[in-house]
Amino acid sequence: MSVLQNFAIGQYLPGESLLHRLDPRSKLVFVFAFAFFVFMANNGPTYAILCVFMVIATIAARISVSYLLRGLKPVWFLILLTAVIHLFMTKGGAVYLQWDWVTVEEQGVRQAMFMSMRLALLVLIGSLLTLTTSPLDLTEGMERLLAPLRKLGVPVHEIALMLSIALRFIPTLLEETDKIIKAQTSRGANLDSGNLLTRARNLVAIVVPLFISAFRRADELALAMEARGYRGGAGRTRRKQLRFTWRDGLLAFVAVLLAGSLGWWRA
Amino acid sequence: MQIAFEQVSHIYGRGTPFEKRALDNVSLNIPSGSYVGIIGQTGSGKSTLIQHLNGLLKPTSGKIRVGEWTITPETKQTLELRKRVGLVFQYPEHQLFEETVLKDVAFGPRNLGLPEEMALLRAREALEVVGLAYEEWKDRSPFQLSGGQMRRVAIAGVLAMQPQILILDEPTAGLDPAGRREILEAIYRIHKEQKMTTLLVTHSMEEAARYADWLIVMAAGRIALSGTPAEVFAQADRLRQLSLDVPNTVALIHKLNERLPEEYKLPLHLYREEELEAYLLQRLSGVKEGTR
Repeated sequence: MSVLQNFAIGQYLPGESLLHRLDPRSKLVFVFAFAFFVFMANNGPTYAILCVFMVIATIAARISVSYLLRGLKPVWFLILLTAVIHLFMTKGGAVYLQWDWVTVEEQGVRQAMFMSMRLALLVLIGSLLTLTTSPLDLTEGMERLLAPLRKLGVPVHEIALMLSIALRFIPTLLEETDKIIKAQTSRGANLDSGNLLTRARNLVAIVVPLFISAFRRADELALAMEARGYRGGAGRTRRKQLRFTWRDGLLAFVAVLLAGSLGWWRA
Repeated sequence: MQIAFEQVSHIYGRGTPFEKRALDNVSLNIPSGSYVGIIGQTGSGKSTLIQHLNGLLKPTSGKIRVGEWTITPETKQTLELRKRVGLVFQYPEHQLFEETVLKDVAFGPRNLGLPEEMALLRAREALEVVGLAYEEWKDRSPFQLSGGQMRRVAIAGVLAMQPQILILDEPTAGLDPAGRREILEAIYRIHKEQKMTTLLVTHSMEEAARYADWLIVMAAGRIALSGTPAEVFAQADRLRQLSLDVPNTVALIHKLNERLPEEYKLPLHLYREEELEAYLLQRLSGVKEGTR
């Protein structure tokens, strides 16, 4: 994959690390809790705690830091924009710089730093989750966690299935896109230049085959599932049972520790 | 156009956990106008190899010469090269998108910057070459065709660009025997008529034996064997090591030779069905007359 090889979100890196072996349910709950923790942090020490935790978690997942940071690629612009807006718009405290009416003040610098860290931490914990959890485990965890909603008439199983199929087919469709792009460029379609009209026409040459292949795959998948006797979620059993282990206990302890220390040190 | 690879390597996903060396120090020479069969197992680097020829992929290291063009890791613009090198991908029917067969085939020539009339004329010629009668097929939607017909339309789409090098990646995958034969015969015909350098990627030894005058056998990103079909098929043991087989004709020759005394052994260059058949008939008629 040449054009789309930078697509790191939702990619699973198989492994045997502590994080890989955690129950997906506890990982999911923890990630949600972590989002709250990130919003609890409001001063230097609390952000430092969160950052230290991120580093430890990355080491525990045995994922190279540079690879994890690639997950930030699609959002770094958003992070930068947030930082810049806060830098100039948030007022208060000492004035550091001033041109005419444009000022950079103490609160602005503070907010710019904290807000961009907040965003980065959220994205990083999310990538850590998908990097260490296979899509299948992830959706099963979600299905089990949402199971109580079934009583309210929410089609939990179907939603989980749709989600897992969607996740499963992201790489397939990316590969397909790459192939079609290559095929059409081989037919002389130039996707990088030319006027708007030819570019639009060339885009059609890619989008149409992609849609057709997506529909064809959906059709084939539905047929294959029916051929194997799939009739929806009712009465379905699992080959792989989810079980909590001491590792999940450890994670709960870490969560309590994080919440406690954040509560203690936050301003 | 002539093709030369000089110590070309290609690594996918460099610097990620998914890093894979798909080509490993490949050097080869293909003279202009030859018909080369590229054989190998899935994942042996065949597809990666051919994508270097029109600059879709750039080598991680090494150099490729195609006619007067040179592709190095630093090469940026390959648009001109793509106009000269026609690449038919696996399952090319998946790239059809236009409303009519004619429009789809004319997509390539139109991208060459040809005037509309010229593009349509070329499309018409290409359709006839792949055996689809122009008047009958031109206004149909490509999506109403059968698999084999779609495949032919897609191949016509590349032929209409009149490339000097034609590369086909398993053009017969998933077709019935009659469809395979027709497509390969059509390709062979234009190869002969237009003196086009042709590369056929396949894992069918029969196809390779039938048309190619030079074979390249790939394994694990390297060239495992190369030579004339007779030379390659002579190394049946090596081929078997690579989980490849010799064509049925060659297998038959080997079998017969096991039983024949030294002076009556069959020569190995008879790997084309018709030639072997003619030869055997001749020998057998000789036996009947008692002269052997």
